[in-house]
Amino acid sequence: MSDASAGHNKMRLVSRSTLAKEASLAALFFLCAFAAVLGVALIFLFVGVRAWPVLTDVGLTDFIAGMTWDAASEQYGILPLIAGSFLVTFGALILGTPLAVGTAVFLSEIASPAVRAVVRPAVELLAGIPSVVFGFFGIVVLRPVVAELSGGTGFGAFTAWIILAIMIVPTIATLSEDALRSVPDGIREASYAMGATTWQTIYKVLLPAAKIGLIDAIILGMGRAIGETMAVLMVVGNAPVFPADVFSPMPTLTAQIALNMSYASGTHRVALFGMAAILFMFSMGLVAAVRLVSRMGGESK
Amino acid sequence: MHRHIALTMLVLAAVVVSGCGGAGSGDPTELVVTGSTTLLPIAEISAEGFEESNQDANVLVSGVGSSAGIEAVAAGTASIGTSSRDLKTEEESLGLVDTPVAFDGIAVIVHPKNPVTELSMAELQAVFAGRITNWSELGGPDMKIHLINRDEASGTREAFHKIVMQDVPFDLRAAVLPGTGQVRDVVSRTQGAIGYISLGFVDQRFAGARAVKSLDVEGVRPTASAVADGTYPIRRTLHFFTEGEPQGLARRFIEYVLSDEVQRGAVTEAGFIPIFAGSAGGES
Repeated sequence: MSDASAGHNKMRLVSRSTLAKEASLAALFFLCAFAAVLGVALIFLFVGVRAWPVLTDVGLTDFIAGMTWDAASEQYGILPLIAGSFLVTFGALILGTPLAVGTAVFLSEIASPAVRAVVRPAVELLAGIPSVVFGFFGIVVLRPVVAELSGGTGFGAFTAWIILAIMIVPTIATLSEDALRSVPDGIREASYAMGATTWQTIYKVLLPAAKIGLIDAIILGMGRAIGETMAVLMVVGNAPVFPADVFSPMPTLTAQIALNMSYASGTHRVALFGMAAILFMFSMGLVAAVRLVSRMGGESK
Repeated sequence: MHRHIALTMLVLAAVVVSGCGGAGSGDPTELVVTGSTTLLPIAEISAEGFEESNQDANVLVSGVGSSAGIEAVAAGTASIGTSSRDLKTEEESLGLVDTPVAFDGIAVIVHPKNPVTELSMAELQAVFAGRITNWSELGGPDMKIHLINRDEASGTREAFHKIVMQDVPFDLRAAVLPGTGQVRDVVSRTQGAIGYISLGFVDQRFAGARAVKSLDVEGVRPTASAVADGTYPIRRTLHFFTEGEPQGLARRFIEYVLSDEVQRGAVTEAGFIPIFAGSAGGES
């Protein structure tokens, strides 16, 4: 009897403390996750509230479709800035994506373990370089070269493309490599067993099989490019107009916010928050796109 | 900023409490210097140096803009109001005494290989407004003009806009760079570029910096003495304003700012022209 009651007590004691521990850990992890959600919600609310007057002070169409951004004459049309952001982003994606996917294919399918041990940390290190360093490299090394080639100042979309393409390589390359590695080995073996060469296996089998993951990687790379501020600010030239060509000074949303924020007041400041809200919507759209693509992938399997 | 305001309020209270006894009854130990952000580096470095040699003195420096500085000294909330502009007509009746402490000249710079050596004010305005876009229209080679402008927070841009542009808008297609150093660097490396920087930064200050060429404006070379005697047109005077002739601590501080130590040190390092540069033989 004493044995049984001791055993019973012990069991209850253990299960109670375990229960408490489990519950408190669950609460802790919930708090961690909640902090992120709270952060996003608060920032969204803050930007939204500060940006709201743009609808009355400037007007939605004059703001989004306005052709002139000139705070001195109180014109707050951000179409040139939106166009600039997209020009820079898509150019960088077109240059950077083949480079990054190529890197991923090399790392996942071709490189020997020894080579991989050198290349992979190098790519990851690229992600760790602060963007101001990229910008500095751009303005000191790259800009004079572009200026020499184009006969201009070297500020403009072209210089930004090259810098941003390098900056998005780690994002796209690491995610693409994960996607390629998650393709089951059986599929590779089946391809080789059919007599396919390495190139045929990569091109006809692996890339299509990893398609969903690759698209996710590219969308996230796009998010990185469109949100980049410092490096872009240093090399685009920041003239708030539609550029005549890719070698002319041009604006982006992020760089214009960073340049203006220190002194803007009144409607000008409201317009900057409006631009932040637009950027926020872009990234929400990108996240939604990633989710949509992933879900489509899940269904097709 | 808030700290400065809080300090200003505190000092204001102290002045009200202790300073009612009338002038000359004993030097107050606190001095409020407020106004132009352009003058902030000079005022701050001077305040540090002044406090070192006057242990009991406490100089409170803040940058709130020239207009606010003039207002503050007129209202008696500051002993010295600093300003990067002259008094407006409606401010002349305030009875403020002007002590010029430095000059700021703005040089127009181009690539050293650019054969153009001189522009008139009207030509400069046309260039920066985007009405003249090729150097051939200015007697140079057939080469596109690449405009380099500063960001709108820049005091140099504000002064250039006022003196040269005279409220004609800048060409928006100009590259906008956030610093004097960047403007200088880009102009030094780009054949067709034109920009403007404080005169003090035209000469190479660092090893490895390339040369730029400053243009004559209205036929006058931008030199320290041409800025100081007023013959070079793109210039402004930096002022300390006091309510009546400066007394006591304010007077000692102004004397320190006008001393060789500050004029050759902080003033020159901040890119400004010392007040005595044009008058080697004394006041004219």
